[in-house]
Amino acid sequence: MRVGVEVGGTFTDLVAFDGDRILITKVPSTPKSPDIGAHNAMRAAGLDFAAVEDLAHGSTVATNAVLERKGARLAFLVTAGFRDILQLQRHDRRQIYDLEYRKPVPVVARRDTFEVTERVLGDGSTAVEFDEARFRAEVLPRLVEGKYGAVAICLLNAYANPEHERRVAAIVEAALPGILVTCSHDVSRVFREFERASTTTLSAFVQPVIDRYLGGFEQRLAGDGFAGRFSVMQSNGGRLPAIAMRKSAITALFSGPAAGVVGAVRQSMRSGFADVITFDMGGTSTDVCLAEGGKAALANETEIDGLPIQTPVLDIVTVGGGGGSIVWVDDGGMLRVGPRSAGADPGPACYMRGGTEPTVTDAQLIVGAVRPEAFLGGRMSIDPELARQAFAPLAERFGLSIEGMAESAIKLVNANIVRAIQLVSTERGRDPRDYALLPFGGGGPLHAASIADQLGVRTIVVPPNPGVISAYGLIASDFTKYATLTSQMRLERGATEGVAVFRRLQDELTADFRAMGFSGPLDFTYTAEMRFVGQAFEISVDFDEAGLAAITAESLLKSFEEAHYRVFFHGLGANQKVEIVSFRVGASVPVAARQPLTMPADDETAEAVHDLYENGRWNSCRHLPAGRMVVGEAVQGPIILSGATATTYLPTGWTAERDPADNIVMRKG
Amino acid sequence: MKLDPIDYAVISQSLQAAAREMGVKLIRSAYSTILREARDGSAALLDRDGNVVAQAELIPMQLGPIGATIRPCLELHPADTLVEGDFFINNDPFAGGQHLQDVFIFTPIFFEGEVVGFSASVAHHLDVGGGSAGLTAEATDVIAEGLRIPPSCWNMDKDWNGGRLERLVAHNIRVPDQTIGDFNAQFAANAMGAARVRQLCEKYGAAAFKETMRELLDYSERRVRAAIARVPDGTYHGEALLDDDGIGDEAIPIRCRLTIAGESVAIDFDGSAPQVRRNINCPFSSTVSAALSAVKSVLTSPDIPFNEGLKRPISVTAPYGSIVNPKPPAPVRARMLSAYRAYDAVMMALSQAVPELVPALGFNTTTVTCLARMGEDGYAVHLEPMGGGYGGSRAVDGCDGVDNGLSNCANTPVEALDAGYDFFRIHSYELAVDSFGHGAHRGGAGFYRRYEILKDGATFSMYSDHFRHPAEGLAGGSAGVLGHARILRGDQVIELRSKSANPVRKGDIVEVLLGGGGGYGQPHLRDPRDIERDLADGLLRPATARRLYQRQEAAE
Repeated sequence: MRVGVEVGGTFTDLVAFDGDRILITKVPSTPKSPDIGAHNAMRAAGLDFAAVEDLAHGSTVATNAVLERKGARLAFLVTAGFRDILQLQRHDRRQIYDLEYRKPVPVVARRDTFEVTERVLGDGSTAVEFDEARFRAEVLPRLVEGKYGAVAICLLNAYANPEHERRVAAIVEAALPGILVTCSHDVSRVFREFERASTTTLSAFVQPVIDRYLGGFEQRLAGDGFAGRFSVMQSNGGRLPAIAMRKSAITALFSGPAAGVVGAVRQSMRSGFADVITFDMGGTSTDVCLAEGGKAALANETEIDGLPIQTPVLDIVTVGGGGGSIVWVDDGGMLRVGPRSAGADPGPACYMRGGTEPTVTDAQLIVGAVRPEAFLGGRMSIDPELARQAFAPLAERFGLSIEGMAESAIKLVNANIVRAIQLVSTERGRDPRDYALLPFGGGGPLHAASIADQLGVRTIVVPPNPGVISAYGLIASDFTKYATLTSQMRLERGATEGVAVFRRLQDELTADFRAMGFSGPLDFTYTAEMRFVGQAFEISVDFDEAGLAAITAESLLKSFEEAHYRVFFHGLGANQKVEIVSFRVGASVPVAARQPLTMPADDETAEAVHDLYENGRWNSCRHLPAGRMVVGEAVQGPIILSGATATTYLPTGWTAERDPADNIVMRKG
Repeated sequence: MKLDPIDYAVISQSLQAAAREMGVKLIRSAYSTILREARDGSAALLDRDGNVVAQAELIPMQLGPIGATIRPCLELHPADTLVEGDFFINNDPFAGGQHLQDVFIFTPIFFEGEVVGFSASVAHHLDVGGGSAGLTAEATDVIAEGLRIPPSCWNMDKDWNGGRLERLVAHNIRVPDQTIGDFNAQFAANAMGAARVRQLCEKYGAAAFKETMRELLDYSERRVRAAIARVPDGTYHGEALLDDDGIGDEAIPIRCRLTIAGESVAIDFDGSAPQVRRNINCPFSSTVSAALSAVKSVLTSPDIPFNEGLKRPISVTAPYGSIVNPKPPAPVRARMLSAYRAYDAVMMALSQAVPELVPALGFNTTTVTCLARMGEDGYAVHLEPMGGGYGGSRAVDGCDGVDNGLSNCANTPVEALDAGYDFFRIHSYELAVDSFGHGAHRGGAGFYRRYEILKDGATFSMYSDHFRHPAEGLAGGSAGVLGHARILRGDQVIELRSKSANPVRKGDIVEVLLGGGGGYGQPHLRDPRDIERDLADGLLRPATARRLYQRQEAAE
């Protein structure tokens, strides 16, 4: 049996495949010890722990450890003269007019930062030798006295030459046996010292937390007879065996949204849709990601709580627009939606828990897209009258009917999501019309058609069970690891040297996977981060094994110039010198026998006809439980397709069909 | 036409997004460290009359003058006379511009044969010619500061990409590869903004688009007027001092009179010093930007779009021939220094009107250092702008080591400099102990940046301020420490003037101290836990804590 357990803020979701049987369970999360919720979900599903061969897990433990600053007590070692890397940061401000501006708070205080006399240069040469005697005399005693839980080391230019970091680490490890030591060159071999220092300290900060959490969870599982493979999701869209993750904790941040993207794309691939834009609309926000050829786009950097992380992550853009987002008017009279959310408590006004501010979910209820009796498969009661009351003041202010106001609010939240989609497509040099939209999460399928209309997208793929896609993504994802190295190389010197760097990284990854116990073949992807000489930001040029084998300096130049032009509107045929700045190799072990999600059986809700407010007037509209759709039989909009975890809205002008992969494929016209 | 409220909300937010995208791409495709790392550039979208409607909020100082620099271009070349491919360019400090290094470029946006608006970008260019590479500290007029491009109209096909303007510019600057690359990044950002605007016009129609632009201006105006109306009517005064003019030793005052009447503000700089012989004169457009930024920061919520509508209720005047409205050909390169004192003077006036909203003064000085050397492959120039500590406020300590209110430049990573320059390296970069003003809320700490010179034949030039007169505290708080610059040469310590050009030798360490911000409130009101935190972090010395905060050391 193969099981995915995803711990979210509110619910813990489980998807299990037992032969052909699919089990889906949702239980409340237990934020204080998330593994209890995960464990509860497995018990609630009635799983035989001994029969579980493959258990994939995702949680917000690492993310929460950072947000709540509840990680290891860290000591941080830096090159002498640069003690304040983490305090000075990049010297700029996020809010330019804020007179009480405060910087993001690093995870190590100045008092716990110590200087190491040494200096390596950008070419890897040594300007100042590591002063070992001084380090032993002045710094080491303070590390011993300080009762630190972990030590992070980030020396200048260690990406080019890690020798000094290694020597310092060895001394610290010998003096403090068993202490966790994290070196910057092991976490990120990319230039820009603040960003690398931030990544290194964050990694060291969350590592003991992840280690403890996974260790405890493994023990609990073993106690119940689990003896299968235990793996953990990463922010890059792949997973790692838990034992390896305990040493590479930085990639555990933001694993939830990544799992959702992977699960959704796997499912759309079954219907032959490989170029898609996913959007996961939840209660407070919406996550958007673009995938090409079935592969989600990667970004080289992300941030948490304002602190940068230099590690490849799925390029997911988040906007503050979800079902609970509050609709309001600012002091200049403009209608706004979010980023404030009514959250789960009190939730939208219609939840009858005391919320009085109008939300997006209230708007959907008013226009009739959400039916009170069919909400979450009829498991939760909601009150349309409270939703109307919440919208009445806005309607009066704008001189609109209540339903007209509600429709306006929906259009506005859709516009926010459209802008997020433009950010991952248009702004990255991609035309959204070349992609299918792939909505999931509780709200995605409800909003997808209007968003597609705004973008000119004509195809939408709604996966079955859109509310538990993240848990599915856990078991559907491959085992993946990336290796990145900054090593500047002029293109005019040819491509041979670069190929050698790729091969070296490939060998390192192969060794890593063998050490994790994977003996089978690995899939590799290769990325050159390139720029015109003199620029500071790079454009990614990707290729596969065949591409790498056939590579020449000319072909690289051409690919780079085209990619640069797509994003920046200039550079084509620029006749300027080009360099590779860093190299990235990704290795993955494909998961054998990927099982598909399927449409849950009919949920007993009656088929009905109700009124729906659409384009400024009331029409009658069919409501059909999605499970009652017949494969290959098209339905015409307007129609509402209700399900246990999400509702799909098919407006006038759209048709939909349940295909053999159990996806609902919606088409315009 | 009656604008649908949803179309309006969607178009206006799309305009903001397009301006932001222009700004991001301008930085990310740039070549010089001043633009790509320090991010000294901005972008905007304007209506066809040249009113700024939406801006990428990168550098406050560059947000004001975009409208002022296009206006003289439009007077010479009205929108109706433009054809596809035309662009305006202007860097003239006496025609709406700031200093010559900030070059403004405008691209008309055509939709169905008509100009519906302009996309604009401004970048600080590394070197635009003049007497010395990067920074001519001793220029006595604007002519010596570089190439002055008056408001003018050119065409991409004829004049750029190897055309006459590009060649003219490239022949008059020292690092043409980087600078022309940065110009191209500006053109590309403009092209992108134009493409996004055309998409909006296609979807919503040019009429709705134009109406939205008009309404957005009114929107900002309404919100600013509402904010000003909450301030008590009256006339308030403020004054701030510049250390000197770069030659003499006398302080130079900038004074303002600020009048709040209902929903509007009038700021007059009458009483400020006459213009001076060196480069700290502040072109009027810079003075306006500084005054607007102070008013916006103190009175309004940060999400009000900075556009021409925001300026309508705020009038700024200054006597012609004064340091804050100089006559040509006054040199203006270091105008940020006097712009900051204009900002400080407005802040001090506002602190009388709304004391609860105004913090103590920050170091509020853009210190620019320029390292230049002629090598075998031509010039190498590195320019970096730096801030200092913020002022403490009623609620919080000032931010440590950060760029100040009118600017927002990032530092250049030490590792980027190591990879890019062979004649100097960063020796150290750290917060300065005991550098902030004290108070119930202390000022932000200042910091050191030290350069180690690796080759002979280099020049270190700079401008800075607050070497003689510090950033003052407020409400009983004390002043931040002064800044300084010195060359450490063997056993010698050579003190540098705040505005100077200096030859440096291999082995020199050039030390620059960017001072701290002023403290707010009486020091004895400071929370003891904050004192202990600063002691533990090594930012406050025990002796200072004893002396200023009467801290008793625990018996050990």
